[in-house]
Amino acid sequence: MHKFEDLNYYELFEIPVNASHFEIRQAYRNALSIYGDDSTIGHSFFTTEERTKILQRIEDAFSTLINDTEREAYDKSLVARKIIDSSSLAIKRKNVPTPLFSSKSRGGDAVPKKIKRAIKERNLQGLVDEILSSEAISGNHLQRLRAAVGITLDDVFEVTRISVATLEAIENDHIESLPPTVYLRNFLKAYAELFEADAQKIIAGYLKSIERIRASS
Amino acid sequence: MAHICAIGGGKGGSGKTFICANLGVTLAMHGKKVIVIDLDLGASNLHTLVGQNHPKTGLHRFLNKSVKDLSLTAEPTDIPGLFLISSLQCSLEAANLFYAQKQKIIRAIGQLPGDVVLLDLGAGTAYNTLDFFLAAHQGLFVLTPEPTSIQNTVQFIKAVYLRKLKHILKQNSFTNLIKEIEDESSDKVVSSPLDIVDRVMKSDPERARYLEGELNRFTFSLILNQHRGHIDMNLGKKIEKVCNRHFYSQFKFLGNIGYDERVCKSITGQKIFVVKYAYTPTATDLKNLSTHVTATRAKQPAVNEKYAQI
Repeated sequence: MHKFEDLNYYELFEIPVNASHFEIRQAYRNALSIYGDDSTIGHSFFTTEERTKILQRIEDAFSTLINDTEREAYDKSLVARKIIDSSSLAIKRKNVPTPLFSSKSRGGDAVPKKIKRAIKERNLQGLVDEILSSEAISGNHLQRLRAAVGITLDDVFEVTRISVATLEAIENDHIESLPPTVYLRNFLKAYAELFEADAQKIIAGYLKSIERIRASS
Repeated sequence: MAHICAIGGGKGGSGKTFICANLGVTLAMHGKKVIVIDLDLGASNLHTLVGQNHPKTGLHRFLNKSVKDLSLTAEPTDIPGLFLISSLQCSLEAANLFYAQKQKIIRAIGQLPGDVVLLDLGAGTAYNTLDFFLAAHQGLFVLTPEPTSIQNTVQFIKAVYLRKLKHILKQNSFTNLIKEIEDESSDKVVSSPLDIVDRVMKSDPERARYLEGELNRFTFSLILNQHRGHIDMNLGKKIEKVCNRHFYSQFKFLGNIGYDERVCKSITGQKIFVVKYAYTPTATDLKNLSTHVTATRAKQPAVNEKYAQI
């Protein structure tokens, strides 16, 4: 086990070697809440001399790590003594706190607008008419519609908010994973409206198609 | 073999007996066979907290040799599965237990049947208390968030530590070492048990490694009792961190037990808290605590026969 005096500054603060300024400040504050003048723990565990020594070490650690030039020199000395690995220093950390939640999309309506515009610009009328003219509309037809515009399932999700799993089931005619018909109708309606096709015809055609698949299986 | 768990902590009034009683009841209600032993000799009141105002039998019968087996002095309580060994009727001088009697009790505790044995210890750092504490598989320190309690806990931890250290050193004939250190220091006392470890490290690194290993096997648990809303939630974690950093053993913080006015009410009304107020946050805290006590089951006897000789 390491003795307190043997801990390096990073171990002392319990932070990674590539910690950001924000993390260093936070760790410093935490350390003071344990060993500082206002802490009941510090007074109970240590004599005045011991505590003065510890506090001095914490101050040294903080002033070294928060100063980029001094920190670099300190890191170099640690690497030279083979205490830390130089490769772990290479990964830079952001100087900001971690966001509370992360999402791939930027949110807002910028993405849906862009997708809608892409669909408008691509004239689909011919393809739509061709699809509507067929007797039953399968998932493959819908997929062709999407492929013609060149957008992904994720893009469709961004606009319609129909989960990708459901969209996949619809496009691949996976009857067992389809939602109940009452929901399916609404999903198909949203899908059709996105591609500016006649929703009622699409729904009727699709339902007829899955009816046939059911009968044949 | 029963899991022996000692409940100690330097300061009086920090809730050792309360936690012992209610932990015992909680464990018993979850189907464990539990024996709670009042080892706060000369200041017994565990019986009141488990609802036995007038225990009929107790530790005194074992000490005066009217029964041979300590388990025969255990008395069933109103809670199924919970048994009490009271020390209410021990002699008024029981606090100053003879050495042989203490060893006899420690050995008998190791042979008790059941799933869990909880030892309720007294305040202070008398040898009896420390030895009972060291005789258990698991030691729970109960402290409250006041500076006085934290100070006494630190003293208690250091005292337990020094006692343990002396046990190990005596077994391995490092005895003269303690004397040397005592002679060196100005007032002939060892101020910090860690000085001894440091000293061994300097003079004999091989033995120091052994010593470190022995101390490392030792695990202490911390409980922060009477925790109130305005107190730092992480206080317990911080104390755990300091202990782990500055002592050579492993410390584990098991959680806060919330302060509740009704604890006082239940004691005054002579009702068992976790029975009467089963659905309070404090009762939930105690329940969470009980899972930590049973999580570590005993695989080997707590009392090393070698220690019993010292």
